[in-house]
Amino acid sequence: MTGLAWRSLRHRATASAATFVTVLLGTALMGSFATLAATARGPVSAADRDTLTTMGTVVGAWGALIVLSAVVSTVGITVTQREVEIGLLRTIGATPRQTGRLVRAETLLVAALASAGGAALAWLGGGVLLALLRNTGAVRESVSYSPGLAPVGTAVAVVLVSLVGSGLASRRATRGPASITPHEVRATTALLPWWRIAAAVLLLGYSATMAVVTITVTAHDDDPYSAMATCGQLGIVVALGLACLSPWLLRLLSGPVRPLLGSGAAAYLATYNSRRRARMLSGVLAPVIVLTAAGISVFMIVGTDDRTRPAGFEDDARTINLLNNVVVGMMVVFAAVVVVNTFAAVVAHRRAELHQLWLLGATPHQVEASVLAEARGVAAIGVVLGALASLAAVVPFGVARHEGVVPDGQLWLPPLVMAAAVALTLFAARSALRRAHVPRGALR
Amino acid sequence: MNTPALQVIDLTRSYGEGVGAVRALDGVDLGFARGTFTAVMGPSGSGKTTLLSCAAGLEPPTSGRVVVDDQDVTDQDEEHRTRLRRERIGFVFQGFHLLPYLTAEQNVGLPLRLADRRPDATRVRELLTRVGLADRAGHLPHALSGGQQQRVAIARALVTEPAVVLADEPTGALDSATAREVLGLLRSSVDDLSQTLVMVTHDPVAAAYADTVVFLVDGRVAGRMDRPTADAVAGQLAHLADLAVGGAA
Repeated sequence: MTGLAWRSLRHRATASAATFVTVLLGTALMGSFATLAATARGPVSAADRDTLTTMGTVVGAWGALIVLSAVVSTVGITVTQREVEIGLLRTIGATPRQTGRLVRAETLLVAALASAGGAALAWLGGGVLLALLRNTGAVRESVSYSPGLAPVGTAVAVVLVSLVGSGLASRRATRGPASITPHEVRATTALLPWWRIAAAVLLLGYSATMAVVTITVTAHDDDPYSAMATCGQLGIVVALGLACLSPWLLRLLSGPVRPLLGSGAAAYLATYNSRRRARMLSGVLAPVIVLTAAGISVFMIVGTDDRTRPAGFEDDARTINLLNNVVVGMMVVFAAVVVVNTFAAVVAHRRAELHQLWLLGATPHQVEASVLAEARGVAAIGVVLGALASLAAVVPFGVARHEGVVPDGQLWLPPLVMAAAVALTLFAARSALRRAHVPRGALR
Repeated sequence: MNTPALQVIDLTRSYGEGVGAVRALDGVDLGFARGTFTAVMGPSGSGKTTLLSCAAGLEPPTSGRVVVDDQDVTDQDEEHRTRLRRERIGFVFQGFHLLPYLTAEQNVGLPLRLADRRPDATRVRELLTRVGLADRAGHLPHALSGGQQQRVAIARALVTEPAVVLADEPTGALDSATAREVLGLLRSSVDDLSQTLVMVTHDPVAAAYADTVVFLVDGRVAGRMDRPTADAVAGQLAHLADLAVGGAA
């Protein structure tokens, strides 16, 4: 099985690369924060221990949620793309268990290599984070870096999660009778499995509760940062909740964004593809939502804090806002990579179909335009949803700091972040098309 | 009406260069008269599919001419060849090639959409009725059987009233009963609509639906047979296979 898995991996380099990069960066991101929690267990003062533990666990936990959902989604996409092949293996006598094992062996190979690299990056990244904390005076100079086994532990956890993700996807792929019908190209109606709905309800419910808590309780706390602690991450949490619902949201909103897609054959194709195969493109939509929400909500909150901070909290502010900026920076970079990756995997996967379109008389320009129109639709839906999600953090914090529902400054920031997210999505689509080399010139 | 719908003149297509070059087509001269059904047969590697690719402007010939509907299309650029493909040529593929996210009806109208024309709903309905799928117009391909998908593809090939329909092993992925239905439909498009049809196949039973069979061996025309029967075609094929083996030896 391992030999077959290895050959199969080399055969689909783009999809494997998507998993590899996501796992690599995900492990690096999660692991960096985990090393802080590990360092806290060394010989440090109580105050430093508090700071390090908070950063390592609280921030690390939200980062972990983003990373893990990205890993599950990317692994899921790459497995779903192989349904034809899995079907073929089953028609020549492979049992569902054997094909499941092949898929898991493949995921294990990629994830193990990537997370090993990620652990090394995490070891370095954790050191950089700690140095930052020391330089800003958040922790004492005497705190020494002792990551222990945290990077390795994170790597193992990410590999396990990848395996769960591929298990879920391969179960979906091997359900039903063996057949070489390309399920993967099927327009699907079953958009939301129960666990997606459950996760969305949980995340949105948590956010609603914490928003209320912020306005009614922590806003009146003596510590001006209590409110930030309860609502600072809500933009990202709501975005994750919406990301869980992204296939459904994409189908629902593909109608309203229709005018953005332009006119003509390309727009026609893009509309129906987004609507009827929402699950495929939703893998791109989800990180766009998270990216936009994280960027807007955290930067806006930092801005509000700068304007409304009571005197005497400058030291706290420096540490906390440094932390905010580091976290949002890492998450935005991570989400951006996932957008580019996922788009590449989706387009590579559609090469055969795009070739057919050309055979039927679509010009190369029309073929590309249809993919770019899809990207425009996804980008538009993603940034609007992301901006809405960011309100979950911005509004409660603004109310808590007496700026009201609309912050007093930096109103240029949301459009800027949204424009950047749109540009990124379009860039991802273009580079995916360039890399995919839609074949021309042969009948078969 | 006397000029052929499709004509290839001294058509040659080679792959690779120098001593290793392979001539997939080697000086093929063929004319396909309007309103006729021609089957192109030959052993594997005889150049059948290359002939279709060149005729459709999918790949340029190394030398020779391709004339569609009195128009020499050999030296046209990609843009013109694409337009040719969607307006003057209909395609039926072995693997159906329906877009999975478009309904049967939308797939039939697709060539017109690609030409930025709005498909006439009545005409699309008529074609779907013709192929026996009027009640499946709103279904997506995955809800249709293989035979039904190929019938949608036939309706799609006819929607632009092309000069010629090219079919590449149209029954290759179907069971024999379904294949007969599909071949009957192709036959009737010639008889009822005076469509011109060129079909590549390796199946003597399929070839027997044609008016004429053209045999290719090693990229050359190796004979033709009018009013073919499955048995006669099978006999001729066996003979050609011997010839090909003899030639190679």
